[in-house]
Amino acid sequence: MIQHGYELDFSKQTFGVILYGAPGIGKTTLALSDGNNGADTLLIDLEHGIGRTNPIHRLNASVLSAATYEEVLADLNTPEAAAAKTIVIDTAGSLVDYLKDWAFRTKQDARTKAGTFNGLKGFGYVKSELESFVNKIKTVMNKNVVFIFHCDEKADKDGNPIQRLRCEGSFRNTVWTGIDFGAYIQMIGNKRVACFSPEDEFFAKGCHGISGHVEIPMLKDDVKNDFLQKLFDSARANMAQENEGVAEQITAYKGAMEAAKGMVEGVTDADTANACMKALLNLNHSLTSKTECAKLLNDKCKTLGLNFNKAEGAYVAGDAK
Amino acid sequence: MKTRITKTLLDAWAYTFDCYEGGEEDAMNDFIKTLNREPIEETEAIANGKAFENLVWDMAEGHEVTPGKWTEGARKIAEIVKGGQWQVHVATDVTVNGRVFWLHGFCDVVKAGVIYDIKFKAKSFNQLDLYGSYRGHSQHSAYLRCLPEAYEFVYLVSDGSDLYTEAYNRRTSRPIEEIIGEFMSWLESQPDLLKIYEEKWRVEE
Repeated sequence: MIQHGYELDFSKQTFGVILYGAPGIGKTTLALSDGNNGADTLLIDLEHGIGRTNPIHRLNASVLSAATYEEVLADLNTPEAAAAKTIVIDTAGSLVDYLKDWAFRTKQDARTKAGTFNGLKGFGYVKSELESFVNKIKTVMNKNVVFIFHCDEKADKDGNPIQRLRCEGSFRNTVWTGIDFGAYIQMIGNKRVACFSPEDEFFAKGCHGISGHVEIPMLKDDVKNDFLQKLFDSARANMAQENEGVAEQITAYKGAMEAAKGMVEGVTDADTANACMKALLNLNHSLTSKTECAKLLNDKCKTLGLNFNKAEGAYVAGDAK
Repeated sequence: MKTRITKTLLDAWAYTFDCYEGGEEDAMNDFIKTLNREPIEETEAIANGKAFENLVWDMAEGHEVTPGKWTEGARKIAEIVKGGQWQVHVATDVTVNGRVFWLHGFCDVVKAGVIYDIKFKAKSFNQLDLYGSYRGHSQHSAYLRCLPEAYEFVYLVSDGSDLYTEAYNRRTSRPIEEIIGEFMSWLESQPDLLKIYEEKWRVEE
């Protein structure tokens, strides 16, 4: 089905989220906040952290415990997984450890002759399996995915603290590409805050109007644990609003670029180049189309041996500047 | 007097403070070379970066390429930048504390309101902590200022296999005026270097 930009429906848009912070800051409880106290959530509990959350705030969540990666995969095919809107991986660092174990057991060249993990080969298997695992949850199953990470405090060159994701292999870098929100959770004064914009001490990511510091409500027994649900709803509403403006701009952009390509193709000499330049200026430009059209024409002129004469404001043959 | 300013100069200066421990002298020498507009020697890292970018360009343009060790990484980037314009010159005048600067540079790719910059890392992503590493660069601040129609700047980083992206918009970027202001304050405290800057970076009106 092909839809126009303005027809897109974001009401079921799914998101990728990173939550990281110090132990005990409440990452798991926060990750269980899509739906009423985890009602829409399946937690893949690879560190047995669920026991440390308040039972009220995990009341409705489904929890998957597994001893091996194969068991995790099998449980993704259960009705509980199919019903969940959000799948939480607690923690992503542990998932990499499970995958290392899986590669070590099942791939011969992931083991050295001495019987240890062969990092070079082994992490190759971990990487490609992890990609396919995340792709299955996000694209095939169309779920929100929340990656919980522990963090390690390190020092920068000047001794200032910086927070890094605790995870082996390349996933701690590549995970940022596919996610929408990455929040560092910290206490500021007596408030628990999710930080969605990067600062000197930590990296973070926000979009669709979610940025900066967002206070996480204090959870009492009678308070619903629904931070992520509200965040997702707000992002969906912002996306719909952004789309109204952007869809028009994209349509105009595409129209201008399409027209420009045809016009530039017809340039054969200085006269047609100058006529084209004027015509390009008259297109209904949007986003960066004006700059891109100028570059398109300039590249074509170069192939024809034409140069732009600044004083004349026109293309001329030869090497006049 | 109007002077030129580029992200290369600003980043070479910033690196004198952020370089690895023990590399301060080399960083200062590199900055002075840049200040003197001396050609930069092509190191292996620079050559690799160019070769990788050419590979991405070939793939984005639909040219046939021989599969090699960087093909996978280049393909991931080519899919993103396909259809964009390459090496787009952008420029604008910026006034900081009464001084006028001609800020300019070349964007690797511009496409539909987004500026893309392609970076190549010879080290595998397994060995690096990349996220947040471009926050202190002046490039996104500079190019977003030069091209007001663009709404986002995205670093596309590859080790030849994986892709890491880091995106900035105007809300998450430092204003370039602030960065230029800090640079000039420092330069004004170094009269010999200020003189070089004013001589070598002057814009002939």
